[in-house]
Amino acid sequence: MSAATRIAAWLGRDLNAPLALGTVALVAWPLIGGDAYTLRLLTIAGIYALAALGYQFIFGHAGALSLAQGAFFGIGAYVAGILSVRTGAGFEITLPASILVTAGVACAVALPVLRLQSHYFALATLGIAQVVLLLAVNWVTVTGGANGIAGIPALELFGWSVGRGWPMLVLVWSIVAAGALLARRLIRGLAGPALALLREQPLAADAAGLDAGRLRLVAFVMSAIYGGVAGALQVHTVRVVSPEVLEFPVMVALLAIVVIGGRTSAAGAILGAILLIHLPEWFRPLEKYYLLAYGVALLATIVAAPWGLIGAARRLRARLFPEAPPAPPAARAVAPRPARAALEIRALVKHFGGVEAIDGVDLVVAPGASIGIIGANGSGKTTLLNLIAGAERPDSGRIDWGGRDIAGMRPGLIAAAGIARTFQGVKLVDDLSVLDNVAAGRWRGWRDASLALAHGEAMALLDRVGLGADPWQPCGALPPGLRRRVEIARALIGRPSMLLLDEPAAGLTGAERQELAALLRALAGDGLTLIVVEHDLEFLEGVAERLICLERGRIIADGTAADIRRDPAVIAAWLGSVPATTPAGG
Amino acid sequence: MDVLQLAINGLALGAAYALVALGFVLILNATSAVNFAQGDLVAAGGFAAVAIAGLVPAPGIVLLPLVVMLMAAVGLVVCALAYWPLRDRPPVAVFISTIAVGIIIQNGLNGLFGAEPRTVPPVIAGGHLKVLGLVVAHQSLAIVAVAAILVTAVHIFLARTQAGRMMRATAQDRPVAAALGVPVAAMVALTFALAAALAGTAGLLLANQYFVTPTDGTNFIVKAYIAVVIGGWGRVGGALAGALLVALFETIVAAWAGHSVAMALLYGALLVILVVRPQGLFGEPVGRRA
Repeated sequence: MSAATRIAAWLGRDLNAPLALGTVALVAWPLIGGDAYTLRLLTIAGIYALAALGYQFIFGHAGALSLAQGAFFGIGAYVAGILSVRTGAGFEITLPASILVTAGVACAVALPVLRLQSHYFALATLGIAQVVLLLAVNWVTVTGGANGIAGIPALELFGWSVGRGWPMLVLVWSIVAAGALLARRLIRGLAGPALALLREQPLAADAAGLDAGRLRLVAFVMSAIYGGVAGALQVHTVRVVSPEVLEFPVMVALLAIVVIGGRTSAAGAILGAILLIHLPEWFRPLEKYYLLAYGVALLATIVAAPWGLIGAARRLRARLFPEAPPAPPAARAVAPRPARAALEIRALVKHFGGVEAIDGVDLVVAPGASIGIIGANGSGKTTLLNLIAGAERPDSGRIDWGGRDIAGMRPGLIAAAGIARTFQGVKLVDDLSVLDNVAAGRWRGWRDASLALAHGEAMALLDRVGLGADPWQPCGALPPGLRRRVEIARALIGRPSMLLLDEPAAGLTGAERQELAALLRALAGDGLTLIVVEHDLEFLEGVAERLICLERGRIIADGTAADIRRDPAVIAAWLGSVPATTPAGG
Repeated sequence: MDVLQLAINGLALGAAYALVALGFVLILNATSAVNFAQGDLVAAGGFAAVAIAGLVPAPGIVLLPLVVMLMAAVGLVVCALAYWPLRDRPPVAVFISTIAVGIIIQNGLNGLFGAEPRTVPPVIAGGHLKVLGLVVAHQSLAIVAVAAILVTAVHIFLARTQAGRMMRATAQDRPVAAALGVPVAAMVALTFALAAALAGTAGLLLANQYFVTPTDGTNFIVKAYIAVVIGGWGRVGGALAGALLVALFETIVAAWAGHSVAMALLYGALLVILVVRPQGLFGEPVGRRA
């Protein structure tokens, strides 16, 4: 295959009929009604499209409501504006400078801010934006203060002056096209499902070893860079820079563009930007109230079509022209990684306020062993599992895994060390297919992002858990028993040596329990170490060779199922009820 | 200026912020969503007072019940348009829908009243008194008094009345409250009405000394948001204390280093608190993770 055909094929994968039509319309519009004002508005729409494409990384793909995108846009504008006025540098200098500064700011604030939960992240990024605005207003010697800097020259690229009108329009939209292609490249392949897992089920993403922190960081820095580039183009288009570019309305405009157009599709950012920039023009007859249209459009979209215009169009197309799902991918066997490491827990303690959830637990689990943990509600079963998996940090004590103390390590690192888990309440992405849900667990970075490979391995695991028949159905359509198995398959795709299961039999029918027990026995037969938290003693008898009974955060019994049934402490703790008939759940 | 004098000025501002933050945290608890329009409702309350004062020239205390009723109605509309259709969606949907409501309020006010700062009559009368060498404006006293009365009234309502208990039950566990026969939809609507009325009152109280413009909302929402974060996400008492702290910080540091520096330091302090103590200065209520 020649280089030209390879490039054509590479481009072709991104092309389709609606996109081609949209592009033709976009080119025809200024050609037909091409007065200076039309060209200028379309140029500005392109600039906002670029900033919105960036915003999609952090808000759309990573699912974090950042309110700093306007600030990155403004920083890019100030850096390029100040440099070109003070030093006369061309765009070949000012653009990289804008990128460097915005990326640098994003990296600097990312460390403390990115691990904050949703509303805290929103406020923290809002705070950062306000600090940048204050800086621009008050650092008068550099920024020109409240008046800003006027008389910024036309964009000059290697000595070629890019004038108003067509030259600027073409340059801006070329960069938009490049930015859109790059964005699609980055989220294509396994990154798409991985980001969906990160955004919809962050705890599960952590537990699957996705390195959620790094994904979020990449998304945040990319959003900043796109914002910076857009800002640098903006300053040469409007030829002034003032604190207005950092004020909240710019941020709100970018948010509205992405919500209205569509949060995760490049076409959405472009369509949203064109609409939003022209909306005030179309509503000019409303005079003073024309900006109201803006808020009304945003409100109407979020209420009536939260997936945005592009999402709505896709839904409509799927309804009108339903496509048969593709054939299941060929399965690729996932080699098991037999456990060689032992788990040794020493004097583990975890308090919640005054409650001693885990109060001095010692436990050794040999490689390949199957352990069941029973105990009443609140006895500390799930807490113990969370401590091993890193979802909670112990107050004291050690958890040695293969000779290394993993107590208090982040869940992603523990998962990478070979400990996988499932959750009491199954955590899946309902909109994604069964196949993609499992494949998402395989994400380890962009270097190894082949979707075909991940689908193949996911397919093998789905066959293994008995779900290979319909891998393309969305997880939201599955009954509870099957959802558990998807989660087990996702845990297995990271090739763990140990699997922690939190009440896997809860909510399952008798027959489903037997099938699940058989599956777990088979996994144990491959050499996987199992720790299963359950209420259902009968189920555990079929899975675990050794049972632990917890009571108020301490181990009160340790032995075979028969030992446990006879143990007076266990019988007393369960208030004389016969453990075997204790209903599961809760 | 004397620190004590500044503290008195800060107290009046903090009392008004407390009303805004109280409404914010009530909606947060009832819906686990951020009402980003809470700041714009302050500006709306200020302009409601401007409009009513234009028709009936009367002191603020007479305008207050009218503003409260008008803003409660606005709160119901906000609930119906921006919260109720999104009640089963992730909280971020409401965050965005209330940003949209904020844009609508800002531009609506700008269209109706223009961008110039406006003022409203004082609660009772202008002027000031001198106590121990300190100058205390009558309006400042009135702000603190009105805010104290309203906060106490809300407290009594929540703690002692059947409707208040139902509202708290709705905030604590909505499915269980609904199963027990609490009219959940009505309680959520009532929460929005109450929050908007509190914000509107703050607008009326502040517009006399500080003026009101259509774009004031961003400032107020940021302050309320910060107050609720440092007070402990979802903690009502913490939000009130947080509002006072924010206002005192703002007033005292601004007098010493200028308003911009005060704001920058406030955001800096916020970021440090978020990183070092995300549960707030007084801790999150146990068992709540919004």
